[in-house]
Amino acid sequence: MSGATVRIAREEWRWLARSRVALVAGVLLLLLIITATFTSVQKHEAIDEARARYQSEQIEQFYNQPDRHPHRMVHYGQYVFRPLAPLAFFDTGVDAYTGNMVFLEGHRQNSANFAEARQSSLMLRFGQLTPAFVLQTLAPLLIIFLAFRALAGERERGTLRLMLAQGISARQIVSGKLIAHAAVAGAIVLPALLALTIMSASSGASAQALLIILGYCAYLIVWTLMALVLSALVPRARDALLALVALWMVTVVLLPRGLPELVAASQTLPTRIETEVAIGRDLKAIGDSHDPDDPYFNDFKMEVLARYGVSDVQDLPVQYAGLVAMEGERLTSDLFNRYAADANAREDRQNALVRTFGLASPLIAVRQLSMTLAGTDLDNHQDFLSQVESYRYSFVQHLNRMQAEQIPAVNPGEDPRIDASNWLEVPGFAYVAPNPLAYAGGRIAQSFGILAAWLAGLACLLILAARRLERIAR
Amino acid sequence: MKSETADAVLEARHLRHSYGARRVLDDLSLRVGAGEIYALLGGNGAGKSTTLNIFLGFVRPGSGSASVCGIDPSTAPDEARAALAYVPESVALYDHLSAYENIDYFLHLAGANRHRTSVIDPALDDVGLVASARGQRVGGFSKGMRQKVAIALALARNVPVLLLDEPTSGLDPRATAEFNDLLEAARKRGIATLMATHDLLSAAAVADRIGFLREGHLDEEVAANGGARFDVDALFRRYSERRESRTA
Amino acid sequence: MSLFLAELKLTLRSRIAAAALFLLFLLAALAVWSGISLSDRQNAAIERVQAAHAQDLAAVARVYGQPDGDAGYGAYYTFYLTWDRPSPLAFAAIGQRDIQPFTLRVRTLGLHSQLYESENINAELALPGPFDWAFVLIYLAPLAVLVLLHDLVAGEREAGRLRLLLSLPGARGLWARRLGARYLLVLAALALPLVLGLMLTQAPLTLGAGSLLVAALYLAFWSGLGLLVAALVRSSGGGAATLLGCWIVLTLVAPTLATSAINSAIPAARGTDLSLAQREIVHAAWDKPKEETFDAFFVNHPEWRDTPPVTGRFHWKWYYAFHQVGDEAVAPQVAEYRASLAARERWTERVGWLLPTVSTQVLLHRLADTDLQAHLAYQDSIAALHRRIRYFYYPYVFEERPFTAADFERLPDYQPRPSGGSLAWGSLIALGLAALALLALSLRRAHRVEMVQPTATSRPGRGFLSKPAFT
Repeated sequence: MSGATVRIAREEWRWLARSRVALVAGVLLLLLIITATFTSVQKHEAIDEARARYQSEQIEQFYNQPDRHPHRMVHYGQYVFRPLAPLAFFDTGVDAYTGNMVFLEGHRQNSANFAEARQSSLMLRFGQLTPAFVLQTLAPLLIIFLAFRALAGERERGTLRLMLAQGISARQIVSGKLIAHAAVAGAIVLPALLALTIMSASSGASAQALLIILGYCAYLIVWTLMALVLSALVPRARDALLALVALWMVTVVLLPRGLPELVAASQTLPTRIETEVAIGRDLKAIGDSHDPDDPYFNDFKMEVLARYGVSDVQDLPVQYAGLVAMEGERLTSDLFNRYAADANAREDRQNALVRTFGLASPLIAVRQLSMTLAGTDLDNHQDFLSQVESYRYSFVQHLNRMQAEQIPAVNPGEDPRIDASNWLEVPGFAYVAPNPLAYAGGRIAQSFGILAAWLAGLACLLILAARRLERIAR
Repeated sequence: MKSETADAVLEARHLRHSYGARRVLDDLSLRVGAGEIYALLGGNGAGKSTTLNIFLGFVRPGSGSASVCGIDPSTAPDEARAALAYVPESVALYDHLSAYENIDYFLHLAGANRHRTSVIDPALDDVGLVASARGQRVGGFSKGMRQKVAIALALARNVPVLLLDEPTSGLDPRATAEFNDLLEAARKRGIATLMATHDLLSAAAVADRIGFLREGHLDEEVAANGGARFDVDALFRRYSERRESRTA
Repeated sequence: MSLFLAELKLTLRSRIAAAALFLLFLLAALAVWSGISLSDRQNAAIERVQAAHAQDLAAVARVYGQPDGDAGYGAYYTFYLTWDRPSPLAFAAIGQRDIQPFTLRVRTLGLHSQLYESENINAELALPGPFDWAFVLIYLAPLAVLVLLHDLVAGEREAGRLRLLLSLPGARGLWARRLGARYLLVLAALALPLVLGLMLTQAPLTLGAGSLLVAALYLAFWSGLGLLVAALVRSSGGGAATLLGCWIVLTLVAPTLATSAINSAIPAARGTDLSLAQREIVHAAWDKPKEETFDAFFVNHPEWRDTPPVTGRFHWKWYYAFHQVGDEAVAPQVAEYRASLAARERWTERVGWLLPTVSTQVLLHRLADTDLQAHLAYQDSIAALHRRIRYFYYPYVFEERPFTAADFERLPDYQPRPSGGSLAWGSLIALGLAALALLALSLRRAHRVEMVQPTATSRPGRGFLSKPAFT
């Protein structure tokens, strides 16, 4: 790096420091990031605390239920609350749009309810104040504001000719400006870096935090390069500003909204009711346990009788109805899983399509990266739902087994119950937060790949633009 | 000196004006009659622009008064402007419009609603803009051509007063000569012309009278003298001295 | 008037202005198309669901509509379908329709364990917000105004035309005319696609006119702001930067800050509380003396007090009674929950008094009936249906009348709520005042542009005498 390059970078900083507009805009953005971080951390802690409290209260209540028939407990059910990922404060992702409370009961699959976006006024759709929102949406604008004059301004004033006449190459000038503005981009990421470091230290998500920072650095440098390329190509500073804002508009506001609309139109998701009806129909097609002539359940009965070596249901050491309940639960749960897998696959196809189109917008790549690493993307939610479903299945089967084994098969009385101490044997829901690096490694690599492609492409363009600058300014 | 006795179309009476503590006009009085060309000669800061601004109604004088065809521009700027045409130092037009379209638009802005087409071509004839250039976008026009368009606009508006701001600066010799012819055309139409300039030679070439403006005060007025008009060398000597005395 | 036309033509002949307007028109048209396609998709989904539901219902009727059918089973297994079709204006302002359920099935069990179910949505697609006409109006149209107005005055000054323009007698109305011409062009670029969409969806004239009025006022606000900035700044670059700063604050920063403040100040956790509480009450009933349940139930349903008492372990009348008691017991929580949502709406409207972006959003989505209030109205219509089905079954269950195939023919129908688009007057007045105030202020300021001309034209230094070379 030549002395001239460093000197040009230093001059650019001096100019920024002396420009009141740049200073005010920079300080405002900094304040905004700090406010976003603080409020987001606070909100995160409040939500986390509330969900943890609800979760422990509800399991307490479950364990404190009186002596009952196990099937009553199957429908008393359990509430499960989704814990927030430790880095969710940084990027809340889809958390406000997915419900966070699921009611689990036998042979029904309820939805996750009380999503914040459904309980808020429409103003929420303007965006949520998180560090990720500031870095994704507003930071590029600051970079544009500070950098649009960098080369077009020199050209407009005629100082570019002056510098070239003194034997400084356009490449030196451009690298100087790049160093100056890349440093500004770094300064923007710094508060977020601090917050992420502090918050991730206690949660052991340092690798994710590091990758998030890396992703945002790449994203902001993409914008720095974009600003400099246009500033070098356009003869007037104002035109550079307008062109950059137009680019920002398209890549940050328009494409992220327009693409999902296209994708949603091309790939329909079945509604809950359709799925419920379809599952009901499939279930009936397999067999009806109430029908004494049903082939499926007759086979099941034969198999059970053979397993216990008896010839009549009356002679079974267990309650046959309990076994039928277990078999029914197994069948429904299979269907739930099959339909959920289908719905997830459809959603994944939609999102993959957005990501592919996302080549056109670095925002889509960094947003995906940020959500995935923060543990707030849709896959993470789907994983939560599938953990919830498998827990639902195991807890319902636990109770069904109690029914089969502890409720007398003959003459159980009018109101058979089992001891309340049994409830304690049902394990509580233990959510295992998935590690994004393990389950979404490919997607993370893909996002980084897209950002790297943008970086490389823009770097080439900047080199070409520098050459052109040298040609036309002479 | 028929203009001295004729009714003044353009008149300034004891104009005084200051920007803050800086006095820019100090008891300036002048009269320009119909068909007369008056050159207001002075250096930077002499007060030429302020004088024009007062006639245009852009600036309200500290004291004294101005009149355009008897109208005071400080109280009735629109009426005064209706009587005058102004040609700024560097004539800028709408680059994406042709000469013809520019005049049409500005005429329209100036309040001419009908019969615009019938006056534009004669005006362009008068200023000598070749027919082939009239339909071209003015983006590629030279300063001289732009000035022709602006003066054609003034002629098309058919107003009695023409205010010119440094009309010859930046013109090449041929364009300057053409410009002088243009002013003759204006004179023939009986237009009272006031041109603010620092160019002694061009003032001497066309003006009927030259007023020497120094630090906001009209030092001296010289009138043209028959066919020889002005003794340029004498004027030049006088104003070199004046300039030295000023800078001393 | 013809001078106004000349300004229109002049604006359209500027390449950047024409490009911006065309782009805006194109995006508005795309947005209208996309909104209509979403409305169509939702209508199609409703039809699919209705077909699936009809099959399901027929199957239930076959099994439980026996001559000696028990109404308890009929009620337990019969779902009632509700749906909420997009209003004719929903295409223009989709609002929350992409995240709120628009079909829901309920049965005679406790309402509050059924009412808050959510729909299968792809949350990642919903995250950036819908691409509809309201988005184009609120976010993109101000940028078109910015392109057209940021250099209104400074552009003339930088091009050197300003003094010539101002020297003309008609200059007084110049800025107003130019503002008007550009304002109308932007409005037309937005309104044309909307009007086409309105004709396609056959929306009521009042709703269409209302949304055009909102757009006109919102654009007037931005035009006023644009002219004010244009009249104040020295350079066109400064004008662009200042207006862009205003845009960022009004569309990105202020609304997100306000949302964050409102949602922290007014939590909506009562939804969770009421669900938990209702479950406790309903399930505790199994272990309580039946009289307790019936005593509570008869408070609001005295007409069934004298029906035969329940003696055995189970009876459907007892079952449905304790579900209803569960609903009634959580009424205070429900009220609080609803109140918290209403408070969020109210504060959003108040924020809108200060932020025209927010008031425009409130106004458009209230007109299109796609806001939270609309969804709450849908929930109310579900609650009304739930009440009707309870009262439909109670005579059968309490009087132990058989429920037959003929009774399945007489099930209560769902009455979809009437399309409830309305004008939010408070927001409209606030938006109108903001627009008027800015227009008046900016026009006054623009009038003074001509008076502030004198010394700005400082010239580069030049000698007193320029002696041409040819002498």
